[in-house]
Amino acid sequence: MSGPVNDPPPGDPAARQLLGASTLACGTDVDLLLEQVADGRGADQDAHQQQCVHCQAALSEFTALWGPVAELVVAPVPPPPGLVASVMSQMRTLVRDVWYTLEITEIGAVQIAARVVAALARDCARMIPGVRVALGRSTESRIAALAEKATTGHRYPHAAVGVLGRTAIVDLAVAVTGDDPVHEVARDIQRQVIATLRDQVGLQNVTVNVTVDDILGDDER
Amino acid sequence: MTAAAQAAEPGVADSYLVDRAREGYLDAYELLVQRHSAMAYRVALRLTGNHHDAQDVAQEALIAAWENLTRFRAGSSFSTWLYQIVTRRALNKVSRGRPATSLDLLPDLADPAGEPATQTERNLAVDAVTDALLALPFPQRAVIVLHHFEGLSYAETASVIRSTEPAVRSHLFRARRALGKKLQEWK
Repeated sequence: MSGPVNDPPPGDPAARQLLGASTLACGTDVDLLLEQVADGRGADQDAHQQQCVHCQAALSEFTALWGPVAELVVAPVPPPPGLVASVMSQMRTLVRDVWYTLEITEIGAVQIAARVVAALARDCARMIPGVRVALGRSTESRIAALAEKATTGHRYPHAAVGVLGRTAIVDLAVAVTGDDPVHEVARDIQRQVIATLRDQVGLQNVTVNVTVDDILGDDER
Repeated sequence: MTAAAQAAEPGVADSYLVDRAREGYLDAYELLVQRHSAMAYRVALRLTGNHHDAQDVAQEALIAAWENLTRFRAGSSFSTWLYQIVTRRALNKVSRGRPATSLDLLPDLADPAGEPATQTERNLAVDAVTDALLALPFPQRAVIVLHHFEGLSYAETASVIRSTEPAVRSHLFRARRALGKKLQEWK
């Protein structure tokens, strides 16, 4: 056998000795001192610690030891770009879409997903004064179910749902600021969303159900 | 969602968005994803030790949370619930045997004002902490990450790992000593 035996372990002997003990010579619990430093309270010393050389030395040693951990704790960890988009993309594949058919001609069908209609409606509603939050839902679930049933077995799946042909039903959940009369804000939403879906999508028969479910005051803005 | 739309939502409570998401408003959940995806990824990275696994865990957790919104208890914290799911998924990922070998819990810390030698020393220190963290048994690593890195209280940490406050403190005592011993070897 060659080489030295009984080499001392690497590292700082003072820290090693501290971490191998349960209490200091003064009787203070080592774990509690390490907890104090790790929780960022190393400088909050009680009367005993302010007078005790053992505690002072241990707190100083632990502060130096824990420094790299504290540095890592505050270092930013940027999420990978596209994480949110990737999650939402996967979620949308799990949600059944209902399709509105706008036109079927000899050159093909024009379709638009109900959720796109809902997104346009939501973004329109958010621009209206007095609206704090607007969330759009594709259609009421019973309408979605009706559309699903109506398209089953059709030659052009999703493409000839009479009840949905150029008709959209959009649910909007809205929180308002309370600065304007709620019913007037709701009416504005209906009018402007209907106009937007008519002008931007070509939908002729639009029903906009507005649910005002919260008033968010200044402290919540 | 447009930037204007995102800017329109600051300060809206998670509970409001959770309620709407449960009613079928997908974009309510999108706002929750925007708020909490960074946390999900950060915790997953520190628990699994590599970027690919962390991204998988974060994605799976955010989708699983949405699929199980009906199980979410009204009145509890969405972030605590998401911490639970991320931690459980990370444990599953780690215990499937793909060892965390990389030292890249963080990209090299940039310090424009620092001297190159100082910068190198800091990176080595960060690598040492990362190594020491990944060497801990998963329960100890989890409590260190949740309490010291994420700032959760003992009670919140206990809630996330479905344990008790005394058990959390006990894990923390052991984990800090183990981390400390690794770090003093590095010094």
